[in-house]
Amino acid sequence: MANVFAVQVFFIVFRECLEAIIIVSVLLSFLKQCLGQPGQDQTIYKRLRKQVYVGSIVGVLICLCIGAIFIGLFYGLGHDAWSTSEDLWEGIFYIIATVMITIMGLALLRINKTKQKWRVKIAKALVEKSHQKSRWMRSDWGRRYAMFILPLITTMREGVEAVVFVGGVSLGYPATSFPLPVVTGIIAGLLTGWLIYRGGNVMSIQIFLIASTCVLYLIAAGMFSKAIWSLQYYRFEVGVGSDVSEEGSGAGSYNILDTVWHVNCCNPETDNGWDVFQAILGWQNTGTYGSIISYNIYWLFIMACVAWMMYEERTGRAPLAQKFWQVLARVPGLKRIAGKKLEAMNIQDESVVRQVNSSMFHDSTIETEMVQLSK
Amino acid sequence: MRNLFAGLGAFQLLLGCHAVTHTFDWNVTWVTANPDGLADRKVIGINDQWPLPVLEVNKGDRVVVNMFNGLGDKKTSIHWHGMYQEGTNDMDGPSMVTQCPVAPGSSYTYNFTVNQNGTYWYHCHTDYCYPDGYRAPFIVHDNSSYFYDDYDEEMTLTMSDWYHTLAEDIKPEFMSLYNPTGAEPIPDSFLFNNSISQSYPVQAGKTYLIRLINISAFVGQYFWIEDHTMRIVEIDGVYVDEAEADRLYLSVAQRYAVLVTMKNSTEKNYGMVMVADSSLLDTIPSDLLLNQTNWLEYNSGAAHNNVTLEVSDSSEIYPFDDINLVPHDRVELYKNPTKTVEVTVIMENLDNGDGYALLNNITYTAPKVPTLYTVKYAGDLATDSTVYGEYTHSIVLEQDEVVEVILSNQDTGTHPFHLHGHNFQLLDRYPPYGANFYDYDAGTEFATFDSSNHTAFPTYPARRDTFVLPPGGYYVIRFVASNPGVWLFHCHIDWHMMQGLAMTFVEDPLAIQDQFSISQNQIDVCEAASMSWKGNAAGNTEDYLDLKGQNKPPGFIPAGFTTRGIVALVFSCICAVVGMISISIYGISDLKFTMHESGLGDESATAQEREEYRD
Repeated sequence: MANVFAVQVFFIVFRECLEAIIIVSVLLSFLKQCLGQPGQDQTIYKRLRKQVYVGSIVGVLICLCIGAIFIGLFYGLGHDAWSTSEDLWEGIFYIIATVMITIMGLALLRINKTKQKWRVKIAKALVEKSHQKSRWMRSDWGRRYAMFILPLITTMREGVEAVVFVGGVSLGYPATSFPLPVVTGIIAGLLTGWLIYRGGNVMSIQIFLIASTCVLYLIAAGMFSKAIWSLQYYRFEVGVGSDVSEEGSGAGSYNILDTVWHVNCCNPETDNGWDVFQAILGWQNTGTYGSIISYNIYWLFIMACVAWMMYEERTGRAPLAQKFWQVLARVPGLKRIAGKKLEAMNIQDESVVRQVNSSMFHDSTIETEMVQLSK
Repeated sequence: MRNLFAGLGAFQLLLGCHAVTHTFDWNVTWVTANPDGLADRKVIGINDQWPLPVLEVNKGDRVVVNMFNGLGDKKTSIHWHGMYQEGTNDMDGPSMVTQCPVAPGSSYTYNFTVNQNGTYWYHCHTDYCYPDGYRAPFIVHDNSSYFYDDYDEEMTLTMSDWYHTLAEDIKPEFMSLYNPTGAEPIPDSFLFNNSISQSYPVQAGKTYLIRLINISAFVGQYFWIEDHTMRIVEIDGVYVDEAEADRLYLSVAQRYAVLVTMKNSTEKNYGMVMVADSSLLDTIPSDLLLNQTNWLEYNSGAAHNNVTLEVSDSSEIYPFDDINLVPHDRVELYKNPTKTVEVTVIMENLDNGDGYALLNNITYTAPKVPTLYTVKYAGDLATDSTVYGEYTHSIVLEQDEVVEVILSNQDTGTHPFHLHGHNFQLLDRYPPYGANFYDYDAGTEFATFDSSNHTAFPTYPARRDTFVLPPGGYYVIRFVASNPGVWLFHCHIDWHMMQGLAMTFVEDPLAIQDQFSISQNQIDVCEAASMSWKGNAAGNTEDYLDLKGQNKPPGFIPAGFTTRGIVALVFSCICAVVGMISISIYGISDLKFTMHESGLGDESATAQEREEYRD
């Protein structure tokens, strides 16, 4: 089944899709609140709404092209090089994939928070533009099509991110394992996004998200464990030479000294059905010290992360974060990045939003119409 | 030439009518040799000579060898392969079976009478030392053999595989976690008479008795002579009715004596072809020559052409099946076996990851006290196989009983099994030599012997001391337990010996106690090797039934989940569940952000909540 449906790919596409939709929906709700109220000019509202839709769709199309090129290059050029020492590459790619999923996965649970965040971000962007009077924003074109460019860039950004993630996660998979999870991921993302936008039952959406995040992390933990397993197996293979595969599942097909358990069946590589079990839970018919310990450490790490983030949310302070960036700020070269982060920590977000609320549309293409809107 | 033996012994009688004693003082030392012209290597020499002296004696002679171990770093011993050692079990030579290994600096005296004829050999029988060159022919001449008048000259030819690495350096790679299949070390070359591609001058029209011995550690060899027919007259020291053969297969340790009548023309030289049994080799390096031609040289001026093979693989060569030979002495089938020993060869990994060979469920592991010495001191308990330890796989045989061994093979390779102290009757073998020999070499199904439904046993079964077990097949042999002693029954491939493919027959132990008394020399050898010469397999001299502390092989690999596996799995599950719970809590806590979704710049948002929106 892993040859037709890479579960990891599905979740990444789903997640990126959802994020893009949230941003677009935030934009749409901006518009609706500012312009879409009864008694306001519906033609302008509709025109801008159309811009948002067109911008998002164009962004998606562009990133689909980028993705196609990316994957084409990847399979056209590099893939053969990895088949020679499959287990080594599998181990490395799985580690990369695990890191990616781990970083983006928990954000899936912060749909509501992300919405808020994006509200701030978009507002910030608008404020900045109007303050700095940047060239494109001041230009007539930029003003006219702000509501086209923003979603275009957003969806493109998310899309390229998805392509990179999918690429990283799926390095070990054959090309046939892509199309299905990509398509279903997009469908699921759109559906969920639509539900959120429509303001469906918040609770049940959240439960759905929680469930899918749990599955995502089960996969990630399994992948991490499998990565360590593959690296260990690679080492064993190198020691043995080419004889290992000859042994099937029996004694001699694995390093007995590393083994915590071994069953002479249920080999995900050869036995039907067990590959699904492996894709979702990281099952191996040989449990090694490395794979089992890494599996447990991964979960402990996730628990620690969750605890850390919840602590940060509750107290408003990320333990050690300020310190971390302060230290980094002293490192030459990283000063700018660290400085930005520190600055961001001190900005009052809500004031920015309020500023947008009051000023954004005064300065835009629709200035004249906006007069009646201002408070 | 027939009676003109090489001057090896101190005493030689030209006419060989009277029994004589041949006394040899052998200093075993390291020497350097390069028999294949490819690489110098350290080999075990005798009196600084290598190749080792060929022993040639007459029936009835006594052989006394004072062996001094001058190697400095390696224990050793000598086994006189094929010698029945009647009444002299302690001269047989295998370490920890009939003697202690001879440590560097000590000496052991072998002293026995040769009451048999034919083609034999001697080799080291301690750990794995004979691949290092410690092997040579041992010929017992007989001027009363039925074919004595049929030949003019004698010739002894050995075949051998050859490694450029010391066996002790091969072992760590062979017995290794990284060699789970137990792939045997691949030889670096093959030697014919300790050399390669030589010419052997012959005289046209004469008949030669050619003694062929495979003194390899591992690889069997096919042998034939271009355009000449071989007439088999002896196998492993047993005379057989003359039988014509085109192709012979000699496994490790097997011997054939054949009569070959030379052509009358001297125009051409004829190749003697030696083809390695490549079915034994897991990989065939590109620089390993599997075929070799040596020449019967009629005319040194004529061309010496290599013989080209008509087959692409050695398994397509169908050799003469030795089970069809008829012993010249017409000894009938031993009837009514009172003991049947059914054992199966299994190759398996044990829990240190190394490959082992097992007979039934036992991989031979040397005891702490040589089994013969345990017999001597065990008193009445000597008839209880317990005292010899579980892992010597000892079976006690009663006086003069007929023993049937049904040996089955659940491995994909051939195993030439050798019985010390006896020759045995060849009753049945399946698959037979020929087109079907490799039918069961896939390792998926095995042929098994059905004692109630089998092909009729021969009336006069051939006898020999080393017989090839087919891949995935079986064979049935019988012998009479009329030679009190401790006799090893083992695969003669030395790498398989290293993996424990051996078992022990303790034959009429009470008679052994009467015949044998341990000598001071033997005690000294044990003490020099820091070994006990008294006690059971565990070295326990008080309670012979208490095997606590005996040498044990590694354990079996558990078939499925063990306690630690279950614990690990359960802990992993708990960890995953707790992890998902924490994710769920985190997810639920996101709902609080939905409360102020309604408007931009919601004035009611508290300062604290505002902070939460920070990037």
